[in-house]
Amino acid sequence: MSWIKEGELNLLERISANVLKAGPMPKHVAFIMDGNRRFARKKNMERQEGHMQGFNKLAETLRWCKHLNIPEVTVYAFSIENFKRTKDEVDGLMELARQKFERLLEERDNLEKHGVCIRVLGDLNMLPLDLQQLIAKAVITTRDHNKCFLNVCFAYTSRYEITNAVREMAWGVEQSLIKASDVSEALLGECLYSNNSPNPDLLIRTSGEVRLSDFLLWQTSHSCLVFQSVLWPEYSFWNLCEAILQYQLNHKSIQKARDLHREHQALQQLEADRACVAEHLQYHGNGKPADAQRRQEALQRYTACREERVRDFLQALKHKRDSFFNDLCSEAVSA
Amino acid sequence: MEALTAPLYAFLWRLLHLLLHVHTALLSWLRPRLPSPTSRLWERAVAALTVPGAATGFPGHQKTLGLLGGDPTEARRSRWLADGQALEKLPVHIGLLVAEEEHSYTDLANLVVWCMAVGISYVSVYDNQGFFRKNNSRLLEEIVRQQQELLGVDGSRYGVDFLSSSINSYQNKVVSCRPTLKVLCPADGKQSIVQAAQQLCRSVENKQSSSKDISVSSLDVLLRESKNIPDPELVLKLGPVNSTLGFLPWHIRLSEFISLPSHRNLAYEELLAALQRYSCCQQRLGQ
Repeated sequence: MSWIKEGELNLLERISANVLKAGPMPKHVAFIMDGNRRFARKKNMERQEGHMQGFNKLAETLRWCKHLNIPEVTVYAFSIENFKRTKDEVDGLMELARQKFERLLEERDNLEKHGVCIRVLGDLNMLPLDLQQLIAKAVITTRDHNKCFLNVCFAYTSRYEITNAVREMAWGVEQSLIKASDVSEALLGECLYSNNSPNPDLLIRTSGEVRLSDFLLWQTSHSCLVFQSVLWPEYSFWNLCEAILQYQLNHKSIQKARDLHREHQALQQLEADRACVAEHLQYHGNGKPADAQRRQEALQRYTACREERVRDFLQALKHKRDSFFNDLCSEAVSA
Repeated sequence: MEALTAPLYAFLWRLLHLLLHVHTALLSWLRPRLPSPTSRLWERAVAALTVPGAATGFPGHQKTLGLLGGDPTEARRSRWLADGQALEKLPVHIGLLVAEEEHSYTDLANLVVWCMAVGISYVSVYDNQGFFRKNNSRLLEEIVRQQQELLGVDGSRYGVDFLSSSINSYQNKVVSCRPTLKVLCPADGKQSIVQAAQQLCRSVENKQSSSKDISVSSLDVLLRESKNIPDPELVLKLGPVNSTLGFLPWHIRLSEFISLPSHRNLAYEELLAALQRYSCCQQRLGQ
């Protein structure tokens, strides 16, 4: 089965899609594709077959999203916790990933035609080297495509991602690119694996479980959460429509909460800058009390400097991450 | 063609949403008016169904119930405690996430008192506007009042440790038998993660540690120290908005989310039903 499923919606689906599209639509939807194993058990098939069908459903869901003008999708493919499963199953999942990423490289022309950019979020170091190289190749091949985006969370947990962001910031401090006082909510967000994506508007979990299981905890703090009882391989267009309807019903209140949060965040940054400036003036002000105008100028100067530091640091971080993928890829070529 | 169909679709969309709003309004109007399943018989039946043997499992409690039938607050207290014990599992920490605009001190205080009465040790209350944090003395007053009203004057047994997140309370560990209430606001969420990150980066800045030393557990320790509380196993979302609205992002990793339509006019039976639902949840922890 391929990554891209061609085909139009049927008439009824098209009408429903158009009705939904008359309202606010999510720009980014995240899925916890739960229920593959339960589906396999229910249908008396091999576990691996359940995972296979789950992948096929992903291709189908991407097609629906395309018709619904949803340009970005993030999926939870493999959690760090999943390494605890039996060796058999983990090996099977790694093999499935290998096949799918190989397939992806075969389909590169089609992916280019549709403008699909594929990113893999997680700690690749935890994976077998050949899979790392394959993933790096797939990511590099599609990285300039910009019509739709598929983020695959692989060897991922949200706590690990947040911790990794903190580690990157500490690295920036070690390299004297930023100061510890530059650490802020916005900067932490920029250091996450997901830094290239807007936060998801809608998070869908299937199979009736009602928890986040360490998925996108930071990014979904103002997303609409929809828990659906259907098993992932049985997910239908109508399930997706129902989730979008939920999003539309929640849209106004969540937007309001987001605005409030954004205001709060800006205020927090201003206060942090003020505190840094006050400290600076105290040390270098020769004991003279600073007047309001001088303080204001100092604040502006400080903010500009901080923003520049942060910009340079993020550039360096991006370079570091890019070269990780490039190195993996060239290793694979020379091997 | 497009020019013709676009307004039609927009009209259909409006109609659909109008119908959905009418539906929700009707449900919320009906909720307090429907005959609530208050009878003890029904409750016992549910308890017996969800936990086989529960009805016979606590003969002692039934005896106390019978003995103390004369004192309504005492009877209520043992009944609630028995309800909690009849569940297969009870969260140690419950998060009450208020996701609606209108607030009611009395109803929320009721809910907090019920949670403590069934045997939950930590209760946190959150709303994304920081409303209850701003007015936390008012909420505390209401809780104390409800405690006396619902559980009798014996307030000492259900004393409330009122924590503000900026203050680290060490005494809290000592009096561990008392339920603890925490009133949280958005600053306790991402902002507290940022503070922990700053702390770690400062120690790197001062050359006391290296960036490689930072791990999930070192961050978790910092975030736990300031809270003194286990992660909430259950988050009760009260209100129509389906979002965590910034509620403790680090700590809700494995929390089960159960929604109730509102905290206003909430009946005890609705809380019990939610707890029963929680007690049936199984976690596989990645396996």
